[in-house]
Amino acid sequence: MLRISVMACSRGVAKRFMSSMSGESSLPSNLRLPSNLVDPSRTKRPPPPADSSLPIIRTCDSSVPAHLSPLLTWVESLAAQQGDPVGLAQLHPDVFAVPSRLDILHQVEVWQRSYKRISYANTKVRSEVRGGGRKPWRQKGSGRARVGSIRSPLWRGGGVSHGPRGPTSYYYMLPMKVRVMGLKVALSSKLAQDYLYVVESLDLPTPDPQYILDLLRQRHWGQSLLIVDACDELPENLLQATANLKTVNIIPAIGLNVHSMLKHEAVVLTLAAVRFLESKLLWHDERYTPLYPFKMPYSDLP
Amino acid sequence: MSACFTLRFKMIHRVLRCAFQLPGPSVIRLQPMCVAVGEQNPPCGTLETTKEYMFVERLIPPTRVPVPPRHDGPAPSGWAPPSDVPPSLPYMVRRSRMHNIPVYTDISHGNRRTTVLRRVEGDIWALDGAVKELLKRLTGTDRSTQVNEVTMSIRIKGHYDKEIKEWLMQKGF
Repeated sequence: MLRISVMACSRGVAKRFMSSMSGESSLPSNLRLPSNLVDPSRTKRPPPPADSSLPIIRTCDSSVPAHLSPLLTWVESLAAQQGDPVGLAQLHPDVFAVPSRLDILHQVEVWQRSYKRISYANTKVRSEVRGGGRKPWRQKGSGRARVGSIRSPLWRGGGVSHGPRGPTSYYYMLPMKVRVMGLKVALSSKLAQDYLYVVESLDLPTPDPQYILDLLRQRHWGQSLLIVDACDELPENLLQATANLKTVNIIPAIGLNVHSMLKHEAVVLTLAAVRFLESKLLWHDERYTPLYPFKMPYSDLP
Repeated sequence: MSACFTLRFKMIHRVLRCAFQLPGPSVIRLQPMCVAVGEQNPPCGTLETTKEYMFVERLIPPTRVPVPPRHDGPAPSGWAPPSDVPPSLPYMVRRSRMHNIPVYTDISHGNRRTTVLRRVEGDIWALDGAVKELLKRLTGTDRSTQVNEVTMSIRIKGHYDKEIKEWLMQKGF
């Protein structure tokens, strides 16, 4: 026993002696970083400086409040894999620079997951289980516990007393303004974390899916991409390329939602999509409460 | 049994008749009974016109709150627009969608009076200090306040909405 413990101690001492003699760091293996690790903070392009020479392709349509100034982002192009930005775009601060309300983001994400949920779990109560109408033995005198039916919840094969009952719906609606705020917070968070990219147009040179994946890897945009466009027809090359890709998805601008934005690492908006989103999201800041549902005609819906 | 069958048939008939006779919203069409089925050109006696729809369009309400007209100084009700140049302070209080100052009173439990100052941007603690100083000057006591950094609002114990609204308006918010 003493010999075994002495041997174990000496083995440990020898290992520590060897590691201090060799030149490598003494970090344990789970804390050592691999040498080919890519650091995104050093590879992503910094936001455009105020005195950039590129032309401002897009200015804000709605008026910006006097105490805020529009944000500037690069406008890129998907034509070449390693391309320089084509210009600058102005983004409205009330859509792309709102304070980050993580509680609202959580609320909207949970709502998106659960309002469509119908759980079909159902169990039978003691009255629904087949049988159990007769009293198994008499109330007094048999020596056993008193029993009313063989399907009582205490019995094996009996009904469930407090189980799930039938299809239950988890439908509820968050107020419209909370859902709008969720979209604004999601867009602002993506922009603040350098995961939002504005693109001039979605024309690709090839319908090859590998082109997009290589583009993602070269520009260090992220693992997954969500492409948002606001026009009726999407370019054929892009549709073909993204058809079989799981990590790159394309949605129309009306389909933009918080869950998709959180699921994909990078979000790409076209200039048309930026215009559409700004007009729709800013309208909620200056609208009346609805006299009748907004599905019916009004004179100046966005 | 037969009565409910006839009732159902009548309902279906009415629905189908309504569905096939539903005209478009912008066209007033008068069709006399002598029009043969399948005739393309409407015979004389029919008038298709869309310009009377402007009487309907002018009744449809707008959705956006209008910008208030320019006033010289405060309006007769006491309302004043925010100054064109935002005040150079570390905080900002935006107007509500109806262009009013976002200060509201609240009562709970019948006797707990609070004032809420919403829509704050920037350094909310500096605004909190300024509000405390103002109330100290007005009442002589320290009013307790609660700063909510998540919703960017300040809750003050007591009803001081008129004083805070005047103070904010005079600052130019």
